Amino acid sequence: MIPLSNFLILGAVLFSISIAGMFLNRKNILILLMCIELMLLAVNINFIAFSHYLNDMAGQVFVFFILTVAAAEAAIGLAILVVLFRNRRTINVQDLDEMRG
Amino acid sequence: MTETIMSDISRALPEIFLLVAAFSVLLLDLFLSKSMKIVTFLLAQLSLLTTAWLVYNRMGVESIATSATVNNVESVQYALAFSNMYIKDALSDLLKIAMLLIGSAGFIYTRQYLRDRNMFSGEYYALVLFAILGMMIMVSANSMLLIYLGLELLSLSMYALVALQRNNGRASEAAMKYFVLGAIASGMLLYGMSIIYGLSGHLDLTGIAEYVKSSGMTKAGSFDLGLLLGLSFILVGLGFKLGVAPFHMWIPDVYDGAPTAVTQLIGTIPKLAAFGMVFRLLVEGLGDMQTSWQQILILLAVLSLAIGNIIAIAQTNLKRMLAYSTIAHMGFVAMGILAGSNMGYSATLFYTIVYALTALGGFAVIMMLSRKGYEADQLSDLKGLSQRHPWMAFMMMIILFSMAGVPPTVGFYAKMMVIQSVVDANLAWLAVYAVILSVVGAYYYLRAIKIMYFDKADTETTQAETGHKIGLDSHILLSANGLSLLALGIMPGALMATCVAVINVTMK
Amino acid sequence: MTFEQIIFYFFSTILISGALGVVLVRNPVYAALFLILSFFTSSAIWLMLEAEFLGITLVLVYVGAVMVLFLFVIMMLDINMDPLREGFVKMMPLAALVAIIIAAEIVLVMASPSFNFDQSVVHAADYSNTKAIGNILYTEYVYPFEIAAVILVVAIIAAIALTLRRRKGVKHQNPSKQIRTKRNDRVRLVKMPSSSTQNRAGE
Repeated sequence: MIPLSNFLILGAVLFSISIAGMFLNRKNILILLMCIELMLLAVNINFIAFSHYLNDMAGQVFVFFILTVAAAEAAIGLAILVVLFRNRRTINVQDLDEMRG
Repeated sequence: MTETIMSDISRALPEIFLLVAAFSVLLLDLFLSKSMKIVTFLLAQLSLLTTAWLVYNRMGVESIATSATVNNVESVQYALAFSNMYIKDALSDLLKIAMLLIGSAGFIYTRQYLRDRNMFSGEYYALVLFAILGMMIMVSANSMLLIYLGLELLSLSMYALVALQRNNGRASEAAMKYFVLGAIASGMLLYGMSIIYGLSGHLDLTGIAEYVKSSGMTKAGSFDLGLLLGLSFILVGLGFKLGVAPFHMWIPDVYDGAPTAVTQLIGTIPKLAAFGMVFRLLVEGLGDMQTSWQQILILLAVLSLAIGNIIAIAQTNLKRMLAYSTIAHMGFVAMGILAGSNMGYSATLFYTIVYALTALGGFAVIMMLSRKGYEADQLSDLKGLSQRHPWMAFMMMIILFSMAGVPPTVGFYAKMMVIQSVVDANLAWLAVYAVILSVVGAYYYLRAIKIMYFDKADTETTQAETGHKIGLDSHILLSANGLSLLALGIMPGALMATCVAVINVTMK
Repeated sequence: MTFEQIIFYFFSTILISGALGVVLVRNPVYAALFLILSFFTSSAIWLMLEAEFLGITLVLVYVGAVMVLFLFVIMMLDINMDPLREGFVKMMPLAALVAIIIAAEIVLVMASPSFNFDQSVVHAADYSNTKAIGNILYTEYVYPFEIAAVILVVAIIAAIALTLRRRKGVKHQNPSKQIRTKRNDRVRLVKMPSSSTQNRAGE
């Protein structure tokens, strides 16, 4: 029997890895988007673990909606990325410093 | 069973109508030729106004109904629907009407601008309608799930709108930044929500409020680490969405990079929705943790006021200047909420509505001065405005005075009410700090006014402007907009009384 | 250590290494593949938590659709990776520090007794998680369900409006026209003054 805290700690570790990834890959938007997916995965693990231990389906339904929204979000994010690449020929956020100040 | 479904549907009728209208706009637009796009515009306009009428018409209807979920005990007036996920109360009605009317005014202001830039299309109007629908869902959410879904519907539409001008590199850059930071903020908000859910076992805000009450957070000195952790993640997410420092990084870039029509949209209605969201989550859900979130909001307000007012001085771009001014204004919103009293919430509600009206006019002037292939988004574009367009310059002056909080305008009254409520909450030092920084901030508004009235226009600007026609509808609307700021400043009583009544009813 | 625990730690280790792989590798294709590995293993962990429906959905929707979209975009954009790695090493200590602090804070709280629930219900073998979700999704949660549909429509509109380009001068086929062609549209019989040698070659 695995205590709830183990699942939560797993979620917490994933969450912090995704934050570290955002620091490391500030310039690479593709990997940044993947870090966002990792972050949502951590959230989902939390919700499902709570849902299981509370014996309450609401958490699982929430995860269902997060999965739906995240898929939509990824589609829009990648569409914006493609538009950006067509305009600028780069996905480097550091190159995108036309706007500063 | 069918009876509950029918009553659920009748309560959410405005949302359902707007959804159907948005789809109709999208479908009808397919069959319209380029010269007939005005029909799309009129239909979108009609849907917003009809929805506003529906909301207005159904205000207070529930208090006489006798369904089981309606609580019409004397002072309590709200109705729940869809398994208690949807709440219809005075606050949601007021915010919805304000959002819909401002959205409709925005449509009138942006028509010419969109036409000149090839954005006058069905997608634009459908996405705006969907964004407004998302905000309506947010302000009448009674569950964390609905807050999240409404927020995402709003955000996803907004990301797309910012990037909608496909060949505009600056706009797609702004959209990318907005998207990445917005998605991170959503992730943070969700992580906080998951913790709150795990502890309380509830997604609905009423259940969460009961749990927080029972956990003994109200007593000084006793606190639950888990709840605090959840709260801090939620505050980070809310801070991003509200645009308060230190989570403000996206605001200047997005305001600057997006087409001004979209900037006007981002700068006005979502502020009302954000207030609704913060109110639902912090006050209705976690209201008993007020001592905890007050501390964090004080920090956010102090930083926002400083960054918003001081960095704005260095800006030469009008849109960026207004972006920093937004950050400062959101600092005031945070201040009103952290006061934690009914007076504070009413003042904040008043402040937010007034700010949305003011920003609406400010961005409208930028759009009216812009023409095909040229954005009048630099401060220097205002040079000599008083000679070129004396009436417009006068309106812009009222708008800038209202933002700065100069007495005859409503901005002064709004700021005063917020500061008053902070003083009542025994935070006099914060009030003094806010006043000092507002005076600092007044400098850059006054500088813009000086440029309009005392600087000579460049000859090329004057030449380029000949032949540029601004629609009569925009002119009439701008006059109404500017004069309303003046009128509300002289007689703020009615709107303020409405806000106070709404908050008193909503707070039970 | 029970069998259940061994499985949990096994999958957790793979999940965390997969996540580290996503943020550390050079090549975005590898990062995407590591992310797929993470999704698969967390799907296994969700199965341990009796969330079978979501576990399967995660594989179908994420690995099947979202990650394929990611790989598609990576392949479509011709990206020069080297400049994107600048500052990676420089940021490393800061990133690691931030991650460790955040993890430590959350873990400290999560290990506190308020998160120590005792699991009360173990479901019977014929319990269907999918049925349980279906039962409430279309009744209690019908309102959010409809909103999720609207969100997907917005995503469709946005993706099409942003990326659809009608290019000028593109050559494309018209199948119905191709099918409806007659022999006479394609083959032209030309009368040529004939010589005897050519006649023989034609036969």
